[in-house]
Amino acid sequence: MIKITNLEKFYRTEEVETIALNKLSMHVDTGEFVAIMGPSGCGKSTLLNILGMLDDPDEGSYVFNDIEVAHFTERKRADLRKHNIGFVFQSFNLIDELTVFENVELPLIYTGVPSAERVKRVEEVLDKMQIMHRRNHYPQQLSGGQQQRVAIARAVVNKPKLILADEPTGNLDSSNGNDVMELLTDLNEQGTTIIMVTHSEHDARYSHRIIRLLDGQTVMENIMI
Amino acid sequence: MIKNSIKTAWRSLLRNKSYALINIVGLAIGIAACLLIFLIVNFETSFDNFHKNKGQIYRIISAIHTPQGINLGSGVPLPTAESIRLDFPQVKQVAAIMLEFGAHFTIGDNSQGQTAKIFKEDDTFYVEPQFFDIFNFGWLAGDKKTALSDPYTVALTQNEADKFFGDWHNAMGKVIKLGDKKGYKVTGILKNMPANTDFPLKVVMSYSSIRAKGSDYYDNFKDWVSIYGSNNCFIVLPEGQNIAQFNNQLTAFVKKHKPADYAKDGMQLQALGNMHYDSEVQLFRTDAFSKSLIRSISLVGLFLLIIACVNFINLATAQAVNRSKEVGIRKVLGSNREQLVIQFISETLIVTVFAVLLSILIAEAVLPYLNHLLDIHLSNDFILAPPVILFLVLVIAGVTLLAGLYPAMILSGFNPIAALKNKFVSTKSSGVSLRRGLVILQFCIAQVLVIGTLVIIKQVDYFRNKPLGFAKDAVVTVPFQNDSVSLTRINTLRDQLLQQPGINKVSFSSASPSDNMGWSTDFKYNNSSKQTDFNADLKWADVDYFSLYKLQLVAGHIYAKTDTVHEYVVNEALLKKLGITNPNDAIGKNLELFNDKTKNARIVGVVKDFNVRSLKHDIPPVIMAAYKSTYQVINIKIQPTNIKESLASIEHLWNNTFPNNLYEYQFLDTKIAAYYKSEEQQSDLCKIFAGIAIFISCLGLYGLISFMALQRTREVGIRKTLGASVSSIVYLFSKEFTVLILLSFAISAPLGWYFMNKWLMDITYRITLGPGIFLLAIAVSIVIAWLTVGYKAVSAALANPVKSLRSE
Repeated sequence: MIKITNLEKFYRTEEVETIALNKLSMHVDTGEFVAIMGPSGCGKSTLLNILGMLDDPDEGSYVFNDIEVAHFTERKRADLRKHNIGFVFQSFNLIDELTVFENVELPLIYTGVPSAERVKRVEEVLDKMQIMHRRNHYPQQLSGGQQQRVAIARAVVNKPKLILADEPTGNLDSSNGNDVMELLTDLNEQGTTIIMVTHSEHDARYSHRIIRLLDGQTVMENIMI
Repeated sequence: MIKNSIKTAWRSLLRNKSYALINIVGLAIGIAACLLIFLIVNFETSFDNFHKNKGQIYRIISAIHTPQGINLGSGVPLPTAESIRLDFPQVKQVAAIMLEFGAHFTIGDNSQGQTAKIFKEDDTFYVEPQFFDIFNFGWLAGDKKTALSDPYTVALTQNEADKFFGDWHNAMGKVIKLGDKKGYKVTGILKNMPANTDFPLKVVMSYSSIRAKGSDYYDNFKDWVSIYGSNNCFIVLPEGQNIAQFNNQLTAFVKKHKPADYAKDGMQLQALGNMHYDSEVQLFRTDAFSKSLIRSISLVGLFLLIIACVNFINLATAQAVNRSKEVGIRKVLGSNREQLVIQFISETLIVTVFAVLLSILIAEAVLPYLNHLLDIHLSNDFILAPPVILFLVLVIAGVTLLAGLYPAMILSGFNPIAALKNKFVSTKSSGVSLRRGLVILQFCIAQVLVIGTLVIIKQVDYFRNKPLGFAKDAVVTVPFQNDSVSLTRINTLRDQLLQQPGINKVSFSSASPSDNMGWSTDFKYNNSSKQTDFNADLKWADVDYFSLYKLQLVAGHIYAKTDTVHEYVVNEALLKKLGITNPNDAIGKNLELFNDKTKNARIVGVVKDFNVRSLKHDIPPVIMAAYKSTYQVINIKIQPTNIKESLASIEHLWNNTFPNNLYEYQFLDTKIAAYYKSEEQQSDLCKIFAGIAIFISCLGLYGLISFMALQRTREVGIRKTLGASVSSIVYLFSKEFTVLILLSFAISAPLGWYFMNKWLMDITYRITLGPGIFLLAIAVSIVIAWLTVGYKAVSAALANPVKSLRSE
């Protein structure tokens, strides 16, 4: 599903040039659950942003589903993204002005799903995440665990092929964290590819494979048994 | 999609109530001011545009050539209309109309136990029947073609007929008496005139009445020299008529009819469409509203709207950081830039719609005061008028784009990754400099208005307090009908008045020293065969006039006490015109008026110049003499201590002397103050506009400083832990705004100087633009800005640093 080759990304400020990704190559197959680990500043987030087509690389190739996307325009990337990729963030990133229902509905609006169909699909996924009873609440009225469920519901409502999770349990206690990991595992078992950035060895154990980064390069790959 | 945008927009406004409120209130006040200005402009530009032939209607005005240039005047000699009819067969319609200002009417008589009612009506006219073919005024009763054909017939408007006879239905066929003389039969009822006409007809008498034998004007219908300012002539030209060509024909027309000496008093056309805007040529009773004034106030309206939009832009971009997370999420979820722009624009749209609704309420509430202030008649159901609706729709569209587009472009342009992390190093700094620029723009506009206001206030104050060369205080002027019977009674009245304890002096004259009605003529000096090429104002008065008004002589003495012209006194300005430097040289020289030997007399005195007209104009040459038959005003100097008793005894004595007339009085200083009505109105308007501009700007400043305080909580906390004092923190916040205001002053001061200097150039007696006004303007802006910023700055500085650091 994903194949990146010699990917490079630099950050320049007026005086310093930082290499975030240094000729990084890797691949992820459809249906895999991959964890990316590494110390702060090793390039995990940069990699995830490029994989999520939120950012473009400076050099190298990124093939997504047999399409070379490394130098797509923003509009094309956005188009590909909204149909194929769901995001889960550490800080949930729900929109405070929208209710649970409306937050989950948002990706469907942007992909142009008709209204009746939207209601059906949002209700379906809320049900699955067991937060149907909270559908008319606003994010700030929910606990952290509930907010992350909403965020996952939103990530999957469009039935994406790939879910990118950026430390999904980072703001949660261990019990809620485990629930979230179970949810992701379920999704993976139903066929969704998952790439997750994490600091937690515990969480990483849920994955099939751990890619460890240091200074923008792959240093080790562990296959989980 | 749209629904979602509006929903989010609405909730986001609810979450930021205070900013929404600042935005809506600021915008609403700006839009309300703009709306009211639009109403004024719409009203003033609608004058007399309801006449069917309006494009072909012209007024024939006089164009008098003087050494200083051409003076235009509304009036023409009495025979003009009839001669145009004869000499210009191609002219479709011709109509004369003459104002009979301040006419008194008597209804009923004192016989059979009834008492006669006396009414004064300023809006009284003599009109030819053709007038109603040219102008579309409606009739309720009577035939517009014939009603005013015969002498001594009159048409009344509905309101006037109701006033005279209780109900206009009873008015037809009744008789009203002009003064206490001739009776006029009511032969027509007119619909009430609309507010937007320069023909405020109320009582319309047939023009043939003044052409009839026995009328005071009868002989003047052969007089081509005298120009009656109140006698206007309107014509309808055939379509395609070349105006320049017609003006040339008018020059020939004047040459044909006027004596050779007066051929320089030419005539020309003035289009009906220009009449309302030309302040040089008088209108009957309404004030002209110059195109430049329309432009100025439209500009002010636009500026107020811009100031209000600036608030919106400033607050929206300042809030951008708060909105960045939302932008990031939406982009991650697949929103493209256009969708985000639409969303932010719809937020602006909601705010603007609310602001417009609020502005309509404000305008409705303020309208009566505005009508009163400007003496205009705007109706409260303005909101139903199509132009107003169109205007409001355009305002909504314009403001939404002007205020919404820039923030929308900024917000929607955020990089989603940075947006999610609240990292805006580069955009933030450019946003700040834009905001600075906009604050400078706001204060620039506000300060120009403040400078303008201060200059106008100072000028009006100068008008009020400048010595006029005569004593105007505690003088009551009382007009009376100067028919021969009344004139026989005035000496007795004088003696009776002088016996009253509170009355110091009494004088009879044709006018007060400074008066809005004048009489002027050219004359022959020192037995010259030629008339002078300038006119002198005539001030006929008895000898007591000089002591009552404390007029000072610079040479010679006052004329002797007589009833007819025997000797003249002239003013310094007249000598200057004649090129005489030593006033004593004029004493003993002859003056002859009207080519009339009985008005040939010696100059015996020269009076120091006094202001004859408003201070906007120069002092003209003046000729004074005793001439009883022209007297129509009693000047009475009273003791300021018991004004009430004096007024009561004056009224009592006057009514005894002239039982059939209507008593009126006016304090001279009140009358003089009224000359500056339009300046006072401008001053009041300016005060309001400047106040609004300052208020909206400060509202924006308050919003910005609140936001800054919030953004810099952490910085303030760190500074305080490191030992910063409260005053140094307050200084930190105030410094930037003070610098911005000083910068805006650097731009607004020269602009203000330029505009106000131009305004003052039209006024003869004007103030000089010193630094005082400008210092005051900058001081006012800084103090107001500090007060606005101060509260927030102090509360930010006083906040406990432990809290602010922990909350980060």
